[in-house]
Amino acid sequence: MIFGLFGSKTFSPRLERLRSLSLFINLTPRELKIVDSLLHERQFLKDEVIFDEGEEGQAIYIVIEGSVLICRQINSADTRIPRVRRRGDSIDGRIAELGPGTFFGDLALLGNTPRGAQARAATNCKLAVFFRADFMTLLETQALLASKISLQLARHIGLRLREANLGAHSGQHL
Amino acid sequence: MRPPAHSSGPIAWAAIIATTCLLLLVFQKILFLVVPFLLALILYYLLYAPMRKLLLSGMSRAAAATTAILASLLGLAICGMLLLPWISTHMFDWQASVEHYLQGGINMLNRTLTGMEDRFAVLHRAHLATTVADRLNDFTGSFAERYLAPIALGVAAWTPSLLLAPFLSFFFLKDGRDFQHFLSRAVPNAFFEKTLYLLNEVDQAARAYFLGLFNLTLLDTVTLAFGLWLMDMPAPLGLGLIAAVLAWVPYVGSILGGLLVILVAATDFPAEPLMVTWAIGLFILVRLLDDFLYMPLTIGKNLHMHPLVTVLMIFIGGAVAGILGLMLVLPVLGVVMVIGDTIGAVVSDPRLMARYRHGQSLRKAQASADL
Repeated sequence: MIFGLFGSKTFSPRLERLRSLSLFINLTPRELKIVDSLLHERQFLKDEVIFDEGEEGQAIYIVIEGSVLICRQINSADTRIPRVRRRGDSIDGRIAELGPGTFFGDLALLGNTPRGAQARAATNCKLAVFFRADFMTLLETQALLASKISLQLARHIGLRLREANLGAHSGQHL
Repeated sequence: MRPPAHSSGPIAWAAIIATTCLLLLVFQKILFLVVPFLLALILYYLLYAPMRKLLLSGMSRAAAATTAILASLLGLAICGMLLLPWISTHMFDWQASVEHYLQGGINMLNRTLTGMEDRFAVLHRAHLATTVADRLNDFTGSFAERYLAPIALGVAAWTPSLLLAPFLSFFFLKDGRDFQHFLSRAVPNAFFEKTLYLLNEVDQAARAYFLGLFNLTLLDTVTLAFGLWLMDMPAPLGLGLIAAVLAWVPYVGSILGGLLVILVAATDFPAEPLMVTWAIGLFILVRLLDDFLYMPLTIGKNLHMHPLVTVLMIFIGGAVAGILGLMLVLPVLGVVMVIGDTIGAVVSDPRLMARYRHGQSLRKAQASADL
């Protein structure tokens, strides 16, 4: 804690961008630095599959740039064939399109659950990947930080449940 | 070490065993790097938790790594300075003790062989006791001139190499995560999650193995020291520690440790053959405790291998790379097994391969879009 006194209280542009993400909105600069060191950045091209429905999830994805389509399989008995039927440029089974600052695949952070839908890059995009094992380490070593993230995650899941109860389909993905 | 759900076939297993043997052969050739690397790895896993605490308290990674390494070196230096006067005063006693216990061992062997000669006429006619005693006397008589100089030279040659250990572990602590990120950046998007999982599994397994080995040594030392102290043996803690460290070499090391204690019992209590029996009993008890209690508590959980494979691989490791092979075969096999299983799972998954090809074709199309 002593070293924290000498640490910077201001946000660098990178940390500012991280703080603007709803999942990390309540974190201090020091906590953001810790989270930043755990994140992996990946670039996806338009139409590239990020993960498939039914796949075992290991990480949560945060959209930094671009947008991501969340789609669900349409009446396919074989779970190992491509799940999304495409007609020209349109995609059937589309649930939502997520922009910068949003996150998806969040249930993977909680356990070994299979992905509930397919995620596909709608445009060229940059994503931050937060691995479950790193989150578990945070829970053991940085309870306060992990609880802030868990609270945001719980709020997000609660919101989706409420939307689902109201019959809004936009929040039912994953 | 838990393998992924995908299970390897015979070809994958042959590749895993061949890779393990090849790695052991390479390790044997670069022993001067492997030993400090292993020590650095143990130091890294021991210092990782305190370094992470410093890191999470707001220190930079470089400052936390430097503090952790300097604190451990300072601790070692203080221990060295405290022990040095004691070691220098007891050095000559130790030399005399080694000769004393070697002679005690030879006497015990001689008594045993003479006893056997009395019972079996064939052994008596072969003059077994005299032949063995003559050969042992030849060996111990010329031991100093034959082996002491090479041992002294070996220690001098190894010292600079061993000094690499703290240097290496400093960089493991400082740059380990960057290296992990660097490796993961080279992985195509389609395999990213599985590879991240694999890297984490290998890291967790190696951490658990080396920390487990350290804890196992502590438990073995305490148990043996307590047993030897109850038997009224001299220097129980020292003997327990030597036997526990020897146990790092699977099977063979435990037997050597047991023989060492039996040697001491036979020399210090020549008139009490029951002490040798007690020493053997203590070693069997510690082995049972090791196999059924300590190992599962420390490292056993992480190496889920069939016992037959374990024993066979120990023999193969010994044949391929000697004592180093015996010591390293299980952790190397464990890591190769996880990597081999995961590569097998990725390569044999048609959907992942299709996604990989799709990603590649998108990248090619993007690169050649305006040509």
